[in-house]
Amino acid sequence: MSDRKLPLAGLRVADFCWIGAGSYTTKIFGDMGADVIKIESSTRLDSLRLAGPYKDGKPGFNRSGYFADRNTSKRGITIDMKHPRALGVIKRLIAQSDIVANNFAAGVMEKFGLSFEDCAKIKPDIIYLAMSMQGSQGPQRDFRGTGSSIAALTGIQYLSGMPGRVPAGTGTNYPDHLPNPCHAAFALLAALRYRRRTGKGQFIDFAQTEPMLSLMGPTFLDLTVNGNLQDRRGNDHPWAAPHGVYPAKGTDRWIAITVMDDAQWSAFVDVASTCHAGLDPASTVEWAKDPRWQIMPARYAAREELNKRIAAFTATQDAHELMAKLQAQGVPAGAVQDARDVTRSDPQLAHRNHWVRLPHAEMGESLYNALPFRFSHTPVRPTRPAPLLGEHTREILSGMLALSDKEIDELEAEQVLK
Amino acid sequence: MDTALEGLRVLDLSGPMGNYSGKLFADMGADVILVEPPQGTALRREPPFIGSVAGTERSLNFACQNTSKRGICLDLETASGQRLLRELTATADLVIETAPPGWMDARGIGHAALSRVRPQLVMASITPFGQTGPYADMQATDLVGLAMGGLLYMGGYHDAAPTQAHGNQAYMCAAMYGAVAAMLAVTEAEATGQGQHVDISMQEAVTLALENAAQTFDLEGVVRKRPLAEQRFAGYGLFECKDGYIYLGSRGIGNSPAWSRSLQWFKDEHMEGVDRLFGPEWADLAYLKSPEARDVFGELFMRWARQHTKAWLYSEGQKRLIPLAPVSTPADLLENPQLKARGHFVAFTHPLLKAAALMPGAPYVMSGTPWRVHRPAPALGQHTAEVLGELGIGAQDLSRLVSMGAAA
Repeated sequence: MSDRKLPLAGLRVADFCWIGAGSYTTKIFGDMGADVIKIESSTRLDSLRLAGPYKDGKPGFNRSGYFADRNTSKRGITIDMKHPRALGVIKRLIAQSDIVANNFAAGVMEKFGLSFEDCAKIKPDIIYLAMSMQGSQGPQRDFRGTGSSIAALTGIQYLSGMPGRVPAGTGTNYPDHLPNPCHAAFALLAALRYRRRTGKGQFIDFAQTEPMLSLMGPTFLDLTVNGNLQDRRGNDHPWAAPHGVYPAKGTDRWIAITVMDDAQWSAFVDVASTCHAGLDPASTVEWAKDPRWQIMPARYAAREELNKRIAAFTATQDAHELMAKLQAQGVPAGAVQDARDVTRSDPQLAHRNHWVRLPHAEMGESLYNALPFRFSHTPVRPTRPAPLLGEHTREILSGMLALSDKEIDELEAEQVLK
Repeated sequence: MDTALEGLRVLDLSGPMGNYSGKLFADMGADVILVEPPQGTALRREPPFIGSVAGTERSLNFACQNTSKRGICLDLETASGQRLLRELTATADLVIETAPPGWMDARGIGHAALSRVRPQLVMASITPFGQTGPYADMQATDLVGLAMGGLLYMGGYHDAAPTQAHGNQAYMCAAMYGAVAAMLAVTEAEATGQGQHVDISMQEAVTLALENAAQTFDLEGVVRKRPLAEQRFAGYGLFECKDGYIYLGSRGIGNSPAWSRSLQWFKDEHMEGVDRLFGPEWADLAYLKSPEARDVFGELFMRWARQHTKAWLYSEGQKRLIPLAPVSTPADLLENPQLKARGHFVAFTHPLLKAAALMPGAPYVMSGTPWRVHRPAPALGQHTAEVLGELGIGAQDLSRLVSMGAAA
């Protein structure tokens, strides 16, 4: 396995990212071997340091699991960019970096004296990623918000949930977790390739609204071509039935069952008939053999009734057991897994070593996500836990930036390294 | 104009879990060849369709996920089709595929076979659960991917079954990380001359969307559930207004500036009953989480907000530095002034449409190597002759291959 260097070994990222999407972008770089230096300040903490969960439920800026997961494989320094002497130190860091990344509000880096143009003066081939909420240009570039605002603004909130009820969204700030980190990482990797071939850096103006829209191309084309404004549709599929989330045995346990053709339907009916043996007659699936349910368009037209009938049956079944039986007959079905299931009992994620436990000075061993892919020849797993606040300040200033102990002591005394 | 991925050749054999990966490469300038089976790739059968009528060349879903690609048609079930793919791979840097584990190997076109001819070849294999393991042979649709990855459980309403994310997001999670993983392996292959096989799992990709839920269970023993109410605490959540919904993030925390700015705003607007929101209890987070506080805030705020539009509340709230956003519909987004100023939506052209329509454009604006649609999605087999011609296969050979059913 580890017969090769990690793909991004030798690359350095001056990482001003904080909170959600930015930090998950640079995690990809850190986990893949880049030297990612997270630049923080105790004068304005990364708000994820102050967001739970905390080790043992006890708050502390080095105890957040949310922060830790997003900041694996990074070294961390603290510096107060509002201090007049900070810029000089950071310039030395940028001079040795390949990428400068930030997800501040538009204009913040400019105030620090670290616009793309400023950085390109320090390092002419710098690749500069600016991931503000709405991009660095445009009439609403200064509008403010967080991941929740982005979910609302981009339509994923409106379009997800049940018709006639308040939009539910995904229950998370979804654009922060994959759409923005993955698109930003792809853009950076593309820019790096261009730099290898031409020696030129560039500026990536990244609006955290746009990747989410890009992912919903068909929804927009349905409107602009067909005049069809899509809306929430619960768990309905555009043409398949049954396709839904059905109750299973236990409290708040569910199973997703998706029957994509008539052969799968007859497999479903066979499995259901076997499961049902000896159970309450109210949950019998004899009805499912009626000719009216055998053809997809007919099932689809009557899907509301169909879903109710199926729910009466599934409620008597264990979600994982029923999944296994349906899958064995080729019916796409999956238990609706919660955080306990995916972290503790899912044998597939365990087989892939998805969850990684890393030792951390304050948190002890805790749980991190590995990136969701495996290479045949290079390992894919975080190389170190998240940095403590300011953990590597002295190491980086004296090592990479070649400052003397005396200079570092002075900076510390002047409150620059806060 | 320079492109970032010029000179990179990608064969996209994939379906709904991978076509978007290929698009990310193609719109950045890679030469992406969509390799379809004779009946066309699966997305051609997925709605929406032009005029809502199904047809091989009518899927808008296919059309927007396959921009900037050329398209050829090969029957990989035939020995000649497999041979053509091997020949084509000898010129390629990356293959993206979404066949079930083992399918490619069984046809002599797995990574091991193809990389003998082309050592720098990267193959990105995107599957529901990964290439090996106890679930490797299980089937998954998008909904099953959301369920097994843990995201489905978190979406929806506390009093109903969990609800899916709009727009096949589990497929999209697989495709996004598929592209990132493939690009990482290509980066390495360009440096070392050695490609590798990349195994991407949709289920695993979805687990990256769990926010803090996995760590919340690990560190605090608590399973995060669907939210109890649309207003998580007073002043934070979704609220109805005159023409839809808005999200308000006043946080409700007594000393947060957004909260005091919101109160000032409501006062200036003479919101009916605003005085009820002043008082020491509103500085107490426990109170803000109480049903009483949520009810009081919700009733006062919505009585006022129902007199105002999303757009007005958004712009007035933002003037006062309050994190408020509209819950946009797709129609709202087409009119969004910020997206308009950025030129986000671009022309979508299609042979069956008289006029261009709009579709989402650049996911990132790059100063040196701009994103752009290089060509519309291909018709089935549109570039078969052109691409095979580049391999030195002439018209006669091609018509023989076509009559054998190996190509189309």
